[in-house]
Amino acid sequence: MSYLEYSVKYVPSGLRKVLYLNWPLAFLIVAVACIGFLMLYSVAGGSYSPWADTQIKRFAVGFVLMLVIAMVPIWFWRNMALLAYAGTVLLLVAVEFTGATGGGAQRWIDLGFMRLQPSEAMKIALVLLLAAYYDWLPIQKTSRPFWVLLPIVIILVPTALVLSQPDLGTAVLLLTAGGIMMFLAGVHWAYFATVLAGIGGLVTAVFLSRGTDWQLLKDYQYRRIDTFLDPSSDPLGAGYHITQSKIALGSGGWGGRGFMQGTQSRLNFLPEKHTDFIFTTLAEEFGFLGAISLLVLYGLIIVFCITSALSNRDRFSSLLILGVATTFFLFFAVNMSMVMGLAPVVGVPLPLVSYGGSAMLILLIGFGLVQSAHVHRLR
Amino acid sequence: MIRTPLRPLARILDARQKGQNPDAIERENVRIRHEQMRDAARIRAEGRLLVLAGLFLLGFMAIGARMGALSASEPSEPRAQGAGASIIAQRADIVDRKGRMLATNMDTFSLYAHPQQMIDAPAAIDGLLKIFPDLKRERLEKDFLGKRKFVWVKKKLSPEQKQAVHDLGEPGLLFGPREMRLYPNGALAAHVLGGAQFGKEGVHAAEVLGVAGVEKVFDEALRDPANGGRPLQVSLDLTVQAASEEVLWGGMKLLNAKGASSVLMDVRTGEVISIVSLPDFDPNNRPRPPVEGAPDDSPLFNRAVQGVYELGSVFKIFTVAQALDLGLVNAATPINTSTPIKIGGFTIKEFKNKDYGTISVSDVLVKSSNRGTGRLALQIGAKRQKAFLDALGFFDPTPFEIFEARAGKPLLPKRWGDLSTVTISYGHGLSSSPLHLAAGYAAIANGGYAVRPTILKQPGPVLGPRVMSPAAAEQARAMLRKVVTEGTASFGEVPGYHVGGKTGSADKPKPRGGYYTDRLISTFASIFPAHDPAYVLVVTFDEPVETSGEKPRRTAGWTAVPVAAEMIGRIAPLLGLRPDVTPGQLPGITLTGN
Repeated sequence: MSYLEYSVKYVPSGLRKVLYLNWPLAFLIVAVACIGFLMLYSVAGGSYSPWADTQIKRFAVGFVLMLVIAMVPIWFWRNMALLAYAGTVLLLVAVEFTGATGGGAQRWIDLGFMRLQPSEAMKIALVLLLAAYYDWLPIQKTSRPFWVLLPIVIILVPTALVLSQPDLGTAVLLLTAGGIMMFLAGVHWAYFATVLAGIGGLVTAVFLSRGTDWQLLKDYQYRRIDTFLDPSSDPLGAGYHITQSKIALGSGGWGGRGFMQGTQSRLNFLPEKHTDFIFTTLAEEFGFLGAISLLVLYGLIIVFCITSALSNRDRFSSLLILGVATTFFLFFAVNMSMVMGLAPVVGVPLPLVSYGGSAMLILLIGFGLVQSAHVHRLR
Repeated sequence: MIRTPLRPLARILDARQKGQNPDAIERENVRIRHEQMRDAARIRAEGRLLVLAGLFLLGFMAIGARMGALSASEPSEPRAQGAGASIIAQRADIVDRKGRMLATNMDTFSLYAHPQQMIDAPAAIDGLLKIFPDLKRERLEKDFLGKRKFVWVKKKLSPEQKQAVHDLGEPGLLFGPREMRLYPNGALAAHVLGGAQFGKEGVHAAEVLGVAGVEKVFDEALRDPANGGRPLQVSLDLTVQAASEEVLWGGMKLLNAKGASSVLMDVRTGEVISIVSLPDFDPNNRPRPPVEGAPDDSPLFNRAVQGVYELGSVFKIFTVAQALDLGLVNAATPINTSTPIKIGGFTIKEFKNKDYGTISVSDVLVKSSNRGTGRLALQIGAKRQKAFLDALGFFDPTPFEIFEARAGKPLLPKRWGDLSTVTISYGHGLSSSPLHLAAGYAAIANGGYAVRPTILKQPGPVLGPRVMSPAAAEQARAMLRKVVTEGTASFGEVPGYHVGGKTGSADKPKPRGGYYTDRLISTFASIFPAHDPAYVLVVTFDEPVETSGEKPRRTAGWTAVPVAAEMIGRIAPLLGLRPDVTPGQLPGITLTGN
C-alpha cells in the first residue's frame, strides 16, 4: 500500500484525531500507572518522595509524548524506522565507547531531565524497523533464505551490542521480540523449528559440559541456574530475594494484608523493592486479587492491541502494533515469572509500575505508535 | 499451485469477436490473483496471530496459576539445609554395659542477630539484658549499633529463654537449631565421659566435638554417619559407678582427704566396671583447665588414670609372687627381717622401726616387712624384676581408652640398681597410676595372665600372655586373703564376701625432693571373692587422716581399707555375687506338720 492511498481514503485530520484515539487503551495505561504510583507511595512508607512524585512527573511527560506521537501520521513513523534503528545502534556503540573510556559499564545517555538507555530504545526501534521491512518486502519473498537472513542480522546486531554491556535480560527480550515479529510476518515455520532445536541442543550441551574442561559458562552462571532451579538451596545467598518475594506472596494470601501493611517490603527484607521486585509489594498488600487484577489489566492492554491490529488492514501498522504488544507482554511476563520463581532473575522491570524513567518512556512511545497506527488506519 | 492463465485464449478470442478490449480480461485476472494472494497472506497472518495469542494465553495462565499457588502457600522461612548443611551435627549416644544412657543429645536453639535488620536495636539490647543478665551491655551495644552484619549472642537457649527472646518481637534476632550434648547423670562418670563442645558453627547446625575422655578418643567414630548413630557401649555399670562414687565421696569427707580414687576391674576381661576420681565435675558444664597451680588440684584431673604415685607396700605382692613363681621360696620359707639391709649408704628400715624377727614369706606380706621383700627382691635381681613389672604393664601408660590415660606414664628410676630393686619391691621409686595397680592385681587374681585395662564392653574373657604360674598366683591370692584376716587390712573383712588385699601407705614426695612425714597416699588393693576372684578394687586416698583415736592415723589400714570394705559391701550384690553366709540356727521355730 502506498503513500498515496492514505490520502485518498478518509483519515481524520487536525484536532479531530483526538476523538479517534484508542481511548480504552489509553485509559488502561493510566490505570496501570496509577497502581504503580500507589505501590511506590506504599514502598516509601507512605510518602510521595523519593519515588512516587518523580514517577508521576515522568508519566505525565511520557503520556503527553504518547499523544503527540499519536497525532503524527503513521507513514511518517514508517519512513523514520530505518533512521531510528540506525540512530539507536549508533547510540549503543557510543555507550560502548564512553563506557569503555569511563572505566565502567555505562548503559545510559544523559538527556538532562532523564537518562535514556539506548538498549531500551532499541526495543521499539527494532520492532519499528522489522515492521517496515516486512511491509516493504513482497510477501512471496518472505521465506526466501536471503530475505530471512537480513532480519536476523537486523536483530542480532543490537542484541550483540546489548549483550556486551552486559545486559542479558534486554538481549533475551530483543531476540524473542524480533523472532516473534518474523513469525508474525509469515516466515516459514521450518526456520523456527530449526532454531528451537538448536537452542535445545545448546542448553543440553551447556548442562552436559558442566564440570568438564570445556564447560561453556562461567561457574557463577551455573550457580545462577542452580539457584533458579532450586532457590532454597541457598536461601541466604543468591536465592535470597526469590525466597523472600515468595514469602511475600504467600503472606499476602488471597485478600492481601491491606494497603501499606506489607511486612516483607516494609521491613526491608526485599531488595529492589521499588524497581524490579515491586510486584511482591503489590501481591503482599493486595493479595492474589490485587495481583490477578494487575494481570487482567495487562491482559486487556494486549487484547486491545490485538483487536486494533486485526482491524487494521495496513501490514506495517498491524505488525507494529503486535510488535509493541509483544514487547509489552515480554516485559511483564518475564518480570512476574522472575519474581515468582518461574524464570531466572534478570533485570526486567514491571512495565508502567516499576520505578524508572527509561522503560516507561520507551513503552509510552511504543503505545504512541500504536495509537498513531490506530488513528491513521484505513477505514 | 494451479494457476489460471492471465489471458485465457478462449475468452480473449471471444472478447475480440465481441469487440471488447481483451486487456480488460487480463487486468481483471491480475486483480483477482492479487486478491487471492493477499487473502492467503491474511489467512496465514491471522493463523500466526492465533498461535501468538495462544502463547500469550498460556503465559497468562501460567503466571496466574503460579500467583494462585503462591498465595495459597504458607509463608514459611526456608528450613534447615542452608548455610550449615555441610556440618554433620549428629553424635552417637554413649551407654553403659547394660544399655543405660550416659551421654545423649538434646535439641536446643542458639541465638544470633542480624543487626542491620533490627528495627529498634537499643530496645533489643535492653530486652536481652533482662533475659540474660550475664551479657555485657557494652559488648551488645558495640555489636548491634555498629556495622556488623552477623553476631552470635548465645550458644544455647532454654525453651523459656527462647520464648522470651521471641516475645521481644525483634526481626533482627534469629534462632538456629542446635544439637547439644547432654549428660543426664550429671557428674557421674565425669572423668570417663570427658565432655564435648561446639566445633564448627553454622546458623543451622553446629559440630559437637569431644574434648576429653571417651568423647575425645572415640570422637570420629561417634560422629561417623556410617555408624548410623549406633551408641558407644562402655564397660561401666551405672549403678556400681554411682555406689562407688557415693561411698568414696563419703570416705573422702570423713577422712578429710584432698582427693580420692577407685578402680573396679573385671579380672578376666580387663573391663573397668567403675572408675572414680574425686573431686569431680559436671561434664554438662565442664570447667576450664587450670592455668596455675598443680594439675591435680583441678577437678578435671583424673587421679585413677592420670595420677602417678609411689603407691607403697601394695607392690610387695608382686615381689612375693615373682619369688614364688621363680621357685626361690615357698610360702613357709623363713626370711630374716632383723638384720638391716644397707645398700650404697642407705639403710632399709621397717615401718616405725619395728623388728619382726625371722618370719615366713607369708608373714612378710601379712606384716608388710620392707626388709623381707627387699631380701626377696635382691634374690630375684633387677633384670628379672624389670621384666616382670614390664609384663604387668608398669612401664607404659595404660592402653585405657580415655584421652587422659596417655598422660598417665609411670615414672621409673633412671638407674635401676640394687637400691632401686629393693625400694621398688615395696613400692617406692616407681610411680604408677591406680589403674596400673589394678591391672597388676588382676593378673594375680585371674591365675597369672596379664590384663589390658579397657573401658569398652568385651564380649568374653580377654586374657593376655601368662606372666606367672597358676600355682604362684594361687599362693599369692592366699597370702592376700591372710593380710585381711590376720594382717594390716583387718578392717577389710566384709561379711559374706571373702576379701583379699594389700595395704600401701606411701609418704608423698615434696616437690623439691625428700618426703613429707605427715602426708600420705594410702591405698588398698583388693580382690574379691578371694577364693575365686572376679574383681579387683583399688581405693586410693590423697592425704587422708583418721582422727577418732588419740593420734591422727593416716595409714591405709585406717583409711582406705574401711572405705574399700564399705564399697565392696555395697557393690558386690550389684555385681551379682552371692554372699557366702552360713545359716545360723533359727531359735524358736520348729517344724510343724500340716
